[in-house]
Amino acid sequence: MTLTHRLLVILGRLAVLAVILVGAEIGVRSGALSELFFSSPSEVFKALLTQWSNGSFLQDVGITVLETLLGLVSGSLLGMAIGLLLPQLRLVSHVFEPFLMVLNGIPVIVIAPLFILWLGLGILSKIGISVYIVFFAMFIPVYTASLRLDTTFVDALRVMGASRSQIFWKVIVPSSLPSVYTGLKIGSGLALIGAVIGEFVASRSGLGHMILYASGTLDTPTLYLGIITLALFAAALSFAIDGLGPVLVHYRFSDEK
Amino acid sequence: MLEFRNINFSFAGRRGAVEVLRDISFSCKEDEIVAVVGPSGCGKSTLLSLAIGLRKPSSGEVLIDGRPAQGADRRLGMLFQQTTLLPWRSVVENVELGLEIRGEPKEKRRARALALMHQYGLGGFERKYPHALSGGMQKRAALAQTLAVEPTVLLLDEPFAALDAQTRVVIENDVVKICRAGRRSMILVTHDIAEAISMADRVVVLSRRPATVKKIYEIPLSRQAASVADVQSTPEFAHFFKEIWDALDISVTGMSPGTESDVSAAA
Repeated sequence: MTLTHRLLVILGRLAVLAVILVGAEIGVRSGALSELFFSSPSEVFKALLTQWSNGSFLQDVGITVLETLLGLVSGSLLGMAIGLLLPQLRLVSHVFEPFLMVLNGIPVIVIAPLFILWLGLGILSKIGISVYIVFFAMFIPVYTASLRLDTTFVDALRVMGASRSQIFWKVIVPSSLPSVYTGLKIGSGLALIGAVIGEFVASRSGLGHMILYASGTLDTPTLYLGIITLALFAAALSFAIDGLGPVLVHYRFSDEK
Repeated sequence: MLEFRNINFSFAGRRGAVEVLRDISFSCKEDEIVAVVGPSGCGKSTLLSLAIGLRKPSSGEVLIDGRPAQGADRRLGMLFQQTTLLPWRSVVENVELGLEIRGEPKEKRRARALALMHQYGLGGFERKYPHALSGGMQKRAALAQTLAVEPTVLLLDEPFAALDAQTRVVIENDVVKICRAGRRSMILVTHDIAEAISMADRVVVLSRRPATVKKIYEIPLSRQAASVADVQSTPEFAHFFKEIWDALDISVTGMSPGTESDVSAAA
């Protein structure tokens, strides 16, 4: 890409953003867009100030971020560990496969109330729901990759006299890293969904709670505030995960081909 | 020296036992290159997997220097057809892998790997990843990986099949030189008759499944000639090629179901 091309792309993006913001502001102020269904940037900003001053905004954001990150990290570690170990135990994996597939098929929204029942109204139940869906996002790619592992690598190491644990750490774990990266990419989005769904079902704080409450009180600006905050957080998270790529699968990112 | 003694091998298939190898006996002495050729699917590679302990023979034994081979024997090294260079390791980290598995200290194994790479014309590629190397260089690196642990017996399972014709001749030549310089034993499994004749001192021809040793040819060409390419231009080469081709009994019109029993009866 040339420099002018990149410059034009940035300018174009800013222009699109400006059109949306200015359009919403003018649209709502002029009455062309109903204040019940839409909100102007200035109203959303006012909502932010209100939420900020009564101290609930940072708390709501903090809680949702915490639930998401803890859900992502623990769900990923669990999915990775089981996805790597299960293929090593052929009998156990054959026994458990159908159970895992059925569990994976349950829509998260219907299993959420159960987690609330088990873990209460606090953040634990939201982390639980998050772990539940992140687990599968990580487990499935890692597990399939381990099953499809190139046996030549394993044979070659065996001929060199490698033990089972050497084969595990030198071949199976590193060969799973591209799948771990895939799992993290999918899981990061799902971790947030899990946390917010939990907050929707039953909660006392968090961005999901804020959105639900705003919706119930027809507080449209706060509703938009919640959606925009979630969108920004989701984007930041996905950006951070993308940055992990060159760390996890450095050899794929080495520029020489 | 590696010896196959009365090897039988069968495995349980869906419709009963499948007999793959029947009473295979031959040996590969020190400083000798033996090629094993046979129709595709006859069990040539199975023979090597028995030697390295990935599978166990149904009966018979594999001996290394007169003693039974232990699974993953330190005296054996194997070069596979597919790449065994781990894509997430740099070339030098791959070359030192065998030494790492044996628990050699880091500086020692690194020095050994670097020296080998230099010797095999891979200098300057130490920090590259395997995907940055050409097919021929990958093969050289895999060879360095195999030889780093100094095996006395080298097993090659159609290792050059994926290389282009020119690279192939160059690498074949290098392998012959390296093998002879170290007075190693080498067993080369191949479906390529020309490769077998130009590299080996002896060619073992296997029959179709269940494979038996059909014939063994002493080929003096490889040791006399200056290079693999030179062997292929001698008049004897054509003679051996024709003989082995006939012994393989490859039907140009394709296999018919009856030929399998015919071959074993003839052998």
